[in-house]
Amino acid sequence: MKINRTVAMALSAVLALGFVSDTSAADVPLVITGARVVTISGPVMENASIIIQNGKITSVGTGLTAPAGAKIIDGTGKTVYPGLFDGLTTLGLVEIGQGALGTVDTAELGDVNPHAKTWVAIQPDSELISVARAFGITTALSAPGGGLIAGQSAVIRTMGDTPLAMTVKAPVAMHMRYPTGAPVLDFSQGIPNIEPKTFEQRLQERKKNQEKELLKLHGLLEEARAFGDGMASGVSLKVDLPNEALAAAASGKLKVVMRANSEADIKGAIKFSNDNKLKMIIAGGAEAWRCTEELKKSDIPVLIGVDQLPSREGDPYDAAYANAATLNKAGVRFAIVTDDASNSRNLPFEAAMAFAFGLPREAALRAITLSPAEIFGVAGMLGSIETGKAATLIMTNGDILDHRTSITNVIIDGRETSLDNKHQRLYEKYKARP
Amino acid sequence: MNRSITLRAAFAASAFLSTAVLAQDNVTAITNAKIITVSSAGIIEKGTILIKGGKITSVGANVTAPAGATVIDAAGRVVTPGLIDAHSHTAVEGGVNECTNIVTAEVRVADALDPHDMNLYRQLAGGVTSANVLHGSCNSIGGQNATIKLRWGVPSGDELLFKGAPPGIKFALGENPKRTNFGGGVRRYPATRMGVEVTIRNAFLEAKAYKKEWDDYDAAVRTAAGSGGPIHSGRSAGAPGGGSMPRPQAPRKDLQMEALKEILEGKRLVHAHSYRADEILMLIDVANEMGFKIATFQHVLEGYKVASEIAKHGAGGSTFSDWWAYKMEAYDAIPYNAAIMASHGVVVSLNSDSDELARRLYWEAAKTVRYGGVTEEEAFKMVTINPAKQLRIDKWVGSIEVGKDADLAIFKSHPFAPDTRVEMTLVDGKVLFDRSKDVAARTGVAATLGGGQ
Repeated sequence: MKINRTVAMALSAVLALGFVSDTSAADVPLVITGARVVTISGPVMENASIIIQNGKITSVGTGLTAPAGAKIIDGTGKTVYPGLFDGLTTLGLVEIGQGALGTVDTAELGDVNPHAKTWVAIQPDSELISVARAFGITTALSAPGGGLIAGQSAVIRTMGDTPLAMTVKAPVAMHMRYPTGAPVLDFSQGIPNIEPKTFEQRLQERKKNQEKELLKLHGLLEEARAFGDGMASGVSLKVDLPNEALAAAASGKLKVVMRANSEADIKGAIKFSNDNKLKMIIAGGAEAWRCTEELKKSDIPVLIGVDQLPSREGDPYDAAYANAATLNKAGVRFAIVTDDASNSRNLPFEAAMAFAFGLPREAALRAITLSPAEIFGVAGMLGSIETGKAATLIMTNGDILDHRTSITNVIIDGRETSLDNKHQRLYEKYKARP
Repeated sequence: MNRSITLRAAFAASAFLSTAVLAQDNVTAITNAKIITVSSAGIIEKGTILIKGGKITSVGANVTAPAGATVIDAAGRVVTPGLIDAHSHTAVEGGVNECTNIVTAEVRVADALDPHDMNLYRQLAGGVTSANVLHGSCNSIGGQNATIKLRWGVPSGDELLFKGAPPGIKFALGENPKRTNFGGGVRRYPATRMGVEVTIRNAFLEAKAYKKEWDDYDAAVRTAAGSGGPIHSGRSAGAPGGGSMPRPQAPRKDLQMEALKEILEGKRLVHAHSYRADEILMLIDVANEMGFKIATFQHVLEGYKVASEIAKHGAGGSTFSDWWAYKMEAYDAIPYNAAIMASHGVVVSLNSDSDELARRLYWEAAKTVRYGGVTEEEAFKMVTINPAKQLRIDKWVGSIEVGKDADLAIFKSHPFAPDTRVEMTLVDGKVLFDRSKDVAARTGVAATLGGGQ
């Protein structure tokens, strides 16, 4: 079968630019009054109002007049933040991680799945999504995992009845794993037999595997680039979904999220990115604090978790806690992410740990709002409280970095969303059981 | 990887520890501190704690440091009892699961403790000073626990053991002993929650028979001793010696049955890994039938559904603050679990089950304020005096009171505040973690960590 030239062109255009789903706007204007507004992009405003119309912020500040017919939300004593943005999750793709494979759609079989797309497999009624939303996560990168090339991610809003309605932007990035050479063990049939070998033997084996995998990855990108060139030149090409999908990433039009944690792998990934002229984002980045110069020089942003053990036995105990502060000081762009689904609501607490270990408060808040929006190219609409941006906001009774704080309101694209969730329902049901 | 080399390197980097160890005879005074005592003394806004011989000898607002005391000025800082983790697998060398049998009550975690495990130090840096180190959850009745103090770097595992702490044992219900999530190849009994119940009942029926043999034997020995006559050492009643009492024959010692017998005698604490409400009720029923008590339900993620029943049995609940949905039996887990159990009279602790999470137990406690409106005072008990009560070590640790062990954490600010971190941790009055010295000892790229914070 041959692919029609126009279709191919259209496909590559979509892959290159991404598409933005239309959001049906809320018709009732909202006004939040008298709140402390943490804008992220500018100074904190005290006793300020936010006017929301047609899903967008139409003004922020003091002395504003509410539009006719607006619903007033009293923000006295409350704090408003941009909705929290978890820049690496499997939200919508997994319900129960173990023992219920039917609910797990995070990783396709095989090593090379550039044509797998998360936004076709998102379950809008996942309990995990309503829990994340109720605790302030309004936006998330829903990303695939597994294999060398896992597939493409989408930025989703944690609201909506269909995957399309939830999709803010897709595709956002091609997800890959930097080859570590580590043997892939199959536990599906119980614990596999592992041949006894010396440390040196394993190290050599790993090096060889890594070289082989790297060569494979280089080859895949080269082939995809050639395929992309073919598509662009209009020659007849056989249907090849993987290459079609990979072409945009291989030619630097679509971002690549590369999972790499150790110093050697991060530095290897940076070189790989430069060699292939990719637009790379590192995910994991456990030892990013050891690679600040290289990351800064190539302007490669990093998605990091905070609540982790140090990766090396002799590392400072707070290596993961202070990773963010180190990157911030060095001018490396980064976002703090949970890399999870059920624990996504703990995003502000990971930022809090980074704050406790040296990251300035403003930077900690930015790392879970505006920074991921910038990294994924949606900062035009999300990540801060500014006129013209989407009215995706949360209101709290205190400091969002404080574990004791409660989230009182969640507004996504100008619509007040329900805070109802499985946990609240079970709490109400059982708290008064005698 | 060559572990001993990395260990030595790490030790070299932390050589300051040896100098930080304070002589036991000297008085140490922690001064100018805000003290969260977790006792009837409440919070002392500015006070002093005196430590001698590893014990707290004085605490209060009007206490002054004696001349010659080693003074730790904690102005602006907050001193709390060292945190206690009621569910840990830390410092266990190798695996924590003796998985090969359905009952492994004979194996002992204490035989496999590694006092040089770097994670002990990392947890000290999170203010943890004691932990309930448990066997894994592979078996319905698993191995024996070790209650330890985090005396990182002592020469032997034995020196980690918490002196006086009653022994315990791990039970496990539900998916883990069923081996639901552990590969499709090898199956092993039990494969259902029905089988889990049978396994435990069966083991205790055996244990009761075993106990009766020993009770009968002990009674016979007492009777023989009471009769005044000479007791033969002969193996049979027909041994020569005419007229004297034959020595009663001891039953065969069985290490597995010994542990279960101790449970029946109330000498060994049962820590039961559990998730669903049905299995919690099941174990309470079996325990009542067999005549033993459950000290704690561990994880107990659906404890909130049967909180009254747990309270009535007198068991504690040691749970995660908010983990859920990682497997089917955790799907109904809610972060309000601790609050609901506590409001129904259950002694609740928040545990880690993780060397990573253990380092921020103070914030795990803070979450119960958000989830269920637990007061800050009650919330902090969930990582201090409550786990101490659950492990029956509360006469030594869990609060700052005269006579108790000087196991203390010194926080930068209130332990629930977002800018807080642990600055110093003492075990038995010795400074085993001091952040300022840790940071000062960093060299090379490690010195750049945090951007010179």
